[in-house]
Amino acid sequence: MAAKLEGDAVAVLGPSGSGKTSLLEVVAGLRRRVAGRVVVDGDVFVDSGSGKFLEPERRRVGYVPQDSLLFPHLDAAGNVRFGLKKGAGEKTFAEAVSILEIAPLLSRYPATLSGGERQRVALARALATEPRLLLLDEPLAAVDVELKERILPYLLRVRDEKKIPFFYVTHNAGEAALLAREALLLQDGRVRDAGPVHEVLRPAALSSADPETSFENVFAGVLELDPASGTTAYLRTSEGARYLVLRPDRAAEGGRAVFGVSPDDVLVSTKALEPSSVSARNVFAGEVMGLEPIGADTLARILAGGAEWRAKLTGAAVADLDLSAGKAVWLAVKTHAFRRLR
Amino acid sequence: MSASDLSILLLTLRVAAVSTLSILPFGIAAAWLLSRWKGRGKVSVETLLSLPLVLPPTAVGLVLLEMLTRSGPLGRLLDRAGVEILFTWKAVVLATAVMSFPLLVRPARAALEEVDPRLIGIGRSLGHGAFDVFTKVSLPLAWRGILAGTLLAFSRAFGEFGATILVAGNIPGRTQTLALAIFHRTQIGQDAAAFRLVALTVVVAFAAVWTTEVLQRRRSRFARSEP
Repeated sequence: MAAKLEGDAVAVLGPSGSGKTSLLEVVAGLRRRVAGRVVVDGDVFVDSGSGKFLEPERRRVGYVPQDSLLFPHLDAAGNVRFGLKKGAGEKTFAEAVSILEIAPLLSRYPATLSGGERQRVALARALATEPRLLLLDEPLAAVDVELKERILPYLLRVRDEKKIPFFYVTHNAGEAALLAREALLLQDGRVRDAGPVHEVLRPAALSSADPETSFENVFAGVLELDPASGTTAYLRTSEGARYLVLRPDRAAEGGRAVFGVSPDDVLVSTKALEPSSVSARNVFAGEVMGLEPIGADTLARILAGGAEWRAKLTGAAVADLDLSAGKAVWLAVKTHAFRRLR
Repeated sequence: MSASDLSILLLTLRVAAVSTLSILPFGIAAAWLLSRWKGRGKVSVETLLSLPLVLPPTAVGLVLLEMLTRSGPLGRLLDRAGVEILFTWKAVVLATAVMSFPLLVRPARAALEEVDPRLIGIGRSLGHGAFDVFTKVSLPLAWRGILAGTLLAFSRAFGEFGATILVAGNIPGRTQTLALAIFHRTQIGQDAAAFRLVALTVVVAFAAVWTTEVLQRRRSRFARSEP
């Protein structure tokens, strides 16, 4: 396995058993018997050639494993404080608690927390060490995880507010594209591809390497309340797109939010669609960038509203619409298809 | 219970407590090393440490006696330092310590082995050194097993006979513990007086072993990180 990564956020993809977790554990120092060389920031962590092994406590790497690995004998507050450096003040603790929104959980023990809550406490604990690098292992295949359990929205906050470089292991290409600039695709313990995220995340290659990959469309932005309706709101993304979504509970004007849309829920038309003739409230023009086979279906990548959309189509639909790269299309997405992650 | 019964009980409790406390740091250290050691020779060392469990106590006592006489390797050093051990209460402590050591190490080792090594790894990566993680993670998660081992070791020290009589003799008021006194009283035909001591040992031993059982049953409550 060899790769040189310089981005501030690296998504790590690959099928189960491809070595993603092993890679993080080697960098964090949880594995001692390693053949190879790991250098971070000019510091040699491991060099089996010279027998060098930097003790994990001196690496300043915050690791959030798949199973969170919270200390079962400590409550959430105790877990987060465990990471505090000697002499580090309440400020670091309070900041970690606030970013991960775990204040209501502090007195609870890990056994009483849900998977997503544990993951947030573990991320807060890692932040409390003021690490120079974060390593995050996605808890489960993100496709089936309950929306409120997903760590992605918190990770976006950590990225934007703390500016700590990180590795993020995920099966969700949409999350990877939103979060990271570089991606690493592993297969059978080897690097199959590494580089800028849009080059590595080609759906055909990705889904053949890892059939469990999710190609969800993920959007982060701020909410604009819809004065005309109490039940809907607009999500304005940094690319300038504006989507009509269901208004979340306790939504505030300007509040940050993250939404996901399954590629199954994106309707593609080769004829111009008008909001006046379609029930879907999000209708926009776009252009097909590429068609990629994933399993028996085709994933169409469509540039629309400044974002890359992914729509899953059957082979028959692609043939009937005569879709090809460069073709002008219209997308229709129902308000209800936008599912809020947070 | 007569005054002499009471003084025998107190002497026995005292030497058993001193013996158990003195092996505690070494026993925990040995248990920790064994729980982390995966190299070759581990089984041999474990077997060696467990030998006092299966050897006749008199055999252990005889080896200790040979080492502690003035011509023995340890005895010479102690003699030069002016320390007298043989046939004093210190000899009782030493004999019971050697005999009860494996009873402390085995449950403590098992409890420490149950602590997920990845929890220890994450503790290290959170900025704590190996000893720090041991005291903050391993010990709190394994304390039941360690306490169970401590109580077992105490019970063994409380009732030890064979090794004690060889290195400490059976001197009333100085080295005569309950086990020795029971033997002594039967020898001189005071069976009723011996039975009073038997009753005392039953009460103390029952309390210790019962506590051990309860602790061991609950030991794994925190041992896994997932509920």
